[in-house]
Amino acid sequence: MEREQHFPRDVAALEAIYAFVCGFFSASGFDPEDSSTVQLFIEEIFTNMVKYSKDGKQDIAIRLRRKGDVVEIRLVDFDVQPFDYARAPAVEPEQLLAQKKAGGLGLHLVRTMADRFTYEHTNGNSMVTIEKRLGG
Amino acid sequence: MFDIRTGEGNAIVLSGRLDAAQAAKALQTLDALEHSVVADIAGLDYISSAGIGVLVMTQLRLRACGHAIKLANPQPRVRAVIHYAGLEQLFGIE
Repeated sequence: MEREQHFPRDVAALEAIYAFVCGFFSASGFDPEDSSTVQLFIEEIFTNMVKYSKDGKQDIAIRLRRKGDVVEIRLVDFDVQPFDYARAPAVEPEQLLAQKKAGGLGLHLVRTMADRFTYEHTNGNSMVTIEKRLGG
Repeated sequence: MFDIRTGEGNAIVLSGRLDAAQAAKALQTLDALEHSVVADIAGLDYISSAGIGVLVMTQLRLRACGHAIKLANPQPRVRAVIHYAGLEQLFGIE
């Protein structure tokens, strides 16, 4: 079971992304209560792509796939410079308070909450893959 | 849909989804706070790092003047995100 859709690189697309995730959860049989974690992962990576891939012009692809009890989330940003989200410095809570500025927690949340978080840059495209076992 | 409004007594009420698209709206109201306040977030269904960020900024600003914002009644999934962010103590969540 998998679904894929492309979204404009704008935070205003988040509402449509949430609807896409909820539709996938309904169709795949996952507990809808678990969808907010998937929405969170997607928002954090999607907003980073919008913010940091300044050269990106195309819509961002989001694919959701059910693999048993695991949901695989893949975001692809086409024709952009490499930026390794999985290894980029994440802002730890202590740093956030010391720096006294908001933001930067997103990658920390994904790394802490996901079971797998990888990055590839192939043929000019940035691809982030996240896995999370649900129902636990 | 996100909403933030003044509640009874010394409280504000947040509800809906506090994400990157709504953070500026939240900050607009939170920036007007000048004293300690309890934020009832029972109706908050979802929060991301962008939402947590505006709450952190508000807390740091208020603390500098001897005040604080305390988060009350978080739903389990909202509390879990704040927990993974390592910020439960900052907001007085017990």
